[in-house]
Amino acid sequence: MKLSINGKEVETNGSQTVTELLKEQKVKWPDMVSVELNGTILKRETFASTKLTEGDKVEFLYFMGGGCVTN
Amino acid sequence: MKKHTLAIHGGYAPDAETGATAPPIYQTISFAYQTAEELSEVFAGTAPGHVYTRITNPTPYALEQRLTKLEGGVGSLVCSSGMAAITCVVAGLLRTGDHVLSTAGIFGGTVSLFKNTFGRFGVETTFVDAADTEELANNLRKNTKLIFVETIGNPRMDVPDIPAIADLAHQAGIPLVVDSTLTTPILIQPKNWGADIVVHSTSKFINGHGNSIGGAIIDTGNFSWSDGPFEDIRELAKKAGQLAFLAQLRNLIYRDLGCCPAPFNSFLTLTGLETLPGRMDRHCANAQQLAEFLQKHPKVCWVNYPGLPSSPFYARAQKLFDGRGGGLLTFGLGNRNAAFGFINATKLAQNMTNLGDAKTLVLHPASTIFHEFGLDEQKSMGVSEDMVRVSVGIEDFDDIRDDFAQALAQT
Repeated sequence: MKLSINGKEVETNGSQTVTELLKEQKVKWPDMVSVELNGTILKRETFASTKLTEGDKVEFLYFMGGGCVTN
Repeated sequence: MKKHTLAIHGGYAPDAETGATAPPIYQTISFAYQTAEELSEVFAGTAPGHVYTRITNPTPYALEQRLTKLEGGVGSLVCSSGMAAITCVVAGLLRTGDHVLSTAGIFGGTVSLFKNTFGRFGVETTFVDAADTEELANNLRKNTKLIFVETIGNPRMDVPDIPAIADLAHQAGIPLVVDSTLTTPILIQPKNWGADIVVHSTSKFINGHGNSIGGAIIDTGNFSWSDGPFEDIRELAKKAGQLAFLAQLRNLIYRDLGCCPAPFNSFLTLTGLETLPGRMDRHCANAQQLAEFLQKHPKVCWVNYPGLPSSPFYARAQKLFDGRGGGLLTFGLGNRNAAFGFINATKLAQNMTNLGDAKTLVLHPASTIFHEFGLDEQKSMGVSEDMVRVSVGIEDFDDIRDDFAQALAQT
């Protein structure tokens, strides 16, 4: 299905849930990413049960670069 | 997975490229990127990647993942020391004019950090007897921004009523920070009793071999950062959700203070952590036997160990720590000379300012780690001139007992 991930259109390879998408996108450091789906921050315990649908807007935000995210 | 398994396998699988089963030591400062765009995306938070070891590094990260799993938290941050971990938590939450409510019989270094160092920056701390939850409630102020307790006060050996204090904190809308250094996630997961943030000195039982200073902060996920009294973290929670506090530390406080651990220390800590569950079983069993031996010894005036039914905290320790009393105890020999004489006569036990080592360690707290505090202050912290502190190791118990027996005979 087609998703918008961090503003880029991405054709996914079978991922049905957020957890599967994290694996597919090779997010090696899941403890350092927050996930926003269609404008709503997801609770971490819901990653595995949250289903994705065509056209969803997914934002991954990482905290690894040291840039001050409050700025 | 359960704790023994998590301690060995949690958070790290064999390296995809090399198959390395031990987490590799990434002894590097920085990480190169092919293009300027890629690196800028990592800084912007729109792509993952390690950029600089002061912020993240794969070896400490492996330790963070394992500790997160063992504590049942949402994420962790490992630090250069336990003191760095507490510093980050306090600096991340408080501002000048704020107030900390802490239990009194805690590690002297932490008392100094709160009273002297943070006192210099206009953060005031009130220390209250851990046994008196009502008195804690009486000392809450409008500007109190966190409550701090140790699972077992070192060296007072008191056990605070963590669930009741968590309720107190949450009624005030502030987080409860629990230092679980003496108990480790093997004896208690503070998350299950209402704690919001757990800190450890990993230098102690978690490392277990006395070879690496380190600390850790675990966010249990209990506190709603979207609703707390911390304006900047509330704002950050709009983007970071449950990771808001750790993101605040990683991308600001921890980064700016330079609290990162050396990757090699994280590797050694990970190695130690693999055997933590088995070691804790033995630390506790040996400490229990030693406490019972000392209690019956005619030269010993008193023994303080939460695993003894004579401790006022016995029932609470049994409930919170899965029926165990930990690996640390104190006992009294009547006066300072006798305490010194005993320490000087030990042969197996080593005299040093550490605890949680595989080896049995003894210490005279009043003249060492508490020497900077006056007598009245020492008394309020549970320190006395005749006190010997013992970190009970995992040697054969008969050898520990024989060493103590011969040292007491010379005292």
